[in-house]
Amino acid sequence: MNQPILQVQHLSKSFGRREILRDIDFSVFPGDVISIIGASGSGKSTLLRCINLLETPTGGKITFHGQDQTLRGTSAAAYRAKVGMVFQSFNLFNNMTVLENCMVGQVKVLKRKRDVAREKALHFLEQVGMAPYVNARPQQISGGQKQRVAIARALAMEPEILLFDEPTSALDPEMVGEVLSVMRKLAREGMTMLVVTHEMAFARDVSNRVVFMNQGVIGEEAPPQELFTNPKHPETRDFLSRFMAG
Amino acid sequence: MEKLSMLFDDVALLWEKYASSYLTGMGRTLLLAVIATLAGCVIGFACGVVQTIPCSKNDFFLKRVLLGLVRGILRAYIEIFRGTPMILQAVFIYFGLPYFTNNAMQFRNLWAVSILVVSINTGAYMAESVRGGILSIDRGQTEGAKAIGMTHVQTMTSVILPQALRNILPQIGNNFIINVKDTSVMFIIGFTDFFSVHKAVVGATYRYFPSAAIEMAGYLTMTLVASLLLRWLEKRLEGSGNYELVQTDPLITTAGTYNYPGKGSPFDESSREHRETMEKEEEA
Ligand SMILES: Nc1ncnc2c1ncn2[C@@H]1O[C@H](COP(=O)(O)OP(=O)(O)O)[C@@H](O)[C@H]1O
Ligand SMILES: [Mg+2]
Repeated sequence: MNQPILQVQHLSKSFGRREILRDIDFSVFPGDVISIIGASGSGKSTLLRCINLLETPTGGKITFHGQDQTLRGTSAAAYRAKVGMVFQSFNLFNNMTVLENCMVGQVKVLKRKRDVAREKALHFLEQVGMAPYVNARPQQISGGQKQRVAIARALAMEPEILLFDEPTSALDPEMVGEVLSVMRKLAREGMTMLVVTHEMAFARDVSNRVVFMNQGVIGEEAPPQELFTNPKHPETRDFLSRFMAG
Repeated sequence: MEKLSMLFDDVALLWEKYASSYLTGMGRTLLLAVIATLAGCVIGFACGVVQTIPCSKNDFFLKRVLLGLVRGILRAYIEIFRGTPMILQAVFIYFGLPYFTNNAMQFRNLWAVSILVVSINTGAYMAESVRGGILSIDRGQTEGAKAIGMTHVQTMTSVILPQALRNILPQIGNNFIINVKDTSVMFIIGFTDFFSVHKAVVGATYRYFPSAAIEMAGYLTMTLVASLLLRWLEKRLEGSGNYELVQTDPLITTAGTYNYPGKGSPFDESSREHRETMEKEEEA
């Protein structure tokens, strides 16, 4: 049995007195594509943000290849370089072109030479179909294109895991497809992914495990065919029926 | 009218005699303003960055204490230098050093004191502008940078400050213009700038108003030129509004464009369609 890349153990998170996450436990193995579903406000974003330490967990551990990343004095930056993140709101750097967006992390963080970084950036932009737009600025391209650039930017760091926080939720409907198809392709190529999504078809067809979040705890975790066709818990059933209905 | 022509003659007379003094004064004023504004920006940016260093409970105790201390000192610096007149600061620093060291140490170079005083004064103002500029940048920019593993300093220098710089450029310009004018208070410690030339000339000629007119025109020229340069810089930083596709998008070219050799688009003069329509129109 291979080792997990990432383990979340008894993770909890409170904002002030409000407890948002409680006793979260799960592991991510190489090649896993895990979809995280659940109602709005159930703590999905907070979970992803805790995983790459954009939020500091209140309790529990996050281990990456067995190393606890929540210990004092461990470098969050070095860890984040290996864990990519794609945001709902893209967060492309507005002062840079598409190409520079995909190069800056490689040059500054990984200390790659500029021409090496450029090659890599072009390679990944090609993969997401954004190579023609290398000279464009984020303000000049559509939402779907921005998200594809954001994916290329994350890929250019050659991370071991890629986290997606509702990558298609801010997009006009006609642009959802282009982003999902890039993500499908990544999954097929064996990228390890953790995807918060409301795209149930994507969760069902692409992921090998689905995590259902319910009010700050993991309500149910199962392979998609099981969770979607035969949910064990009433809350999961409720959520799915409500979701499918409207 | 008579008065005006008299003024004109007086000014011409003064200018003939003292042009080189006035021009040297202007040069010194400009040089001091430029150096102090740049140094002030460096101070301001450094303070702004330090003040926005994130501090979480997960950091070491020492780091938190140190950061708190540094922030307190910066706060005090900003409040003191924004809250007192620069003319007084100049006196305070220039005479304070020999006072406290029993004349063992004093400023021998007036340039050095003047640059020091004006820079730290500008820095105090810029620190707040920079802090505001940093806070005005969308949090998503910081998170995007953090998510690819950038440190706070890298995030600042590569992503946040270039954007903040554009936003606070008008305020840098403002500070520069203020410095061009306000460096005149450095006469208090004997620094000879453009304004001090006026006092020298008046002392020798007693022509107060004509000299003041030259001074007014001189200051206005310097600040107007500065304004123009800043506008131009702002335009340049905005960058071009267009971009070019590096290669044609395969998905776009398949729709609606003609790809057959010798055919071209209907509006293309070498195309058959275009020739045919032209011929039809000629017949009609
Ligand atoms: N920085 C914050 N401070 C206080 N409360 C927060 C913060 N971020 C999120 N929350 C709260 O945590 C809960 C879960 O939010 P979130 O993780 O964004 O849910 P989801 O992504 O599943 O919609 C929400 O009730 C939200 O109001
Ligand atoms: Mg969310």
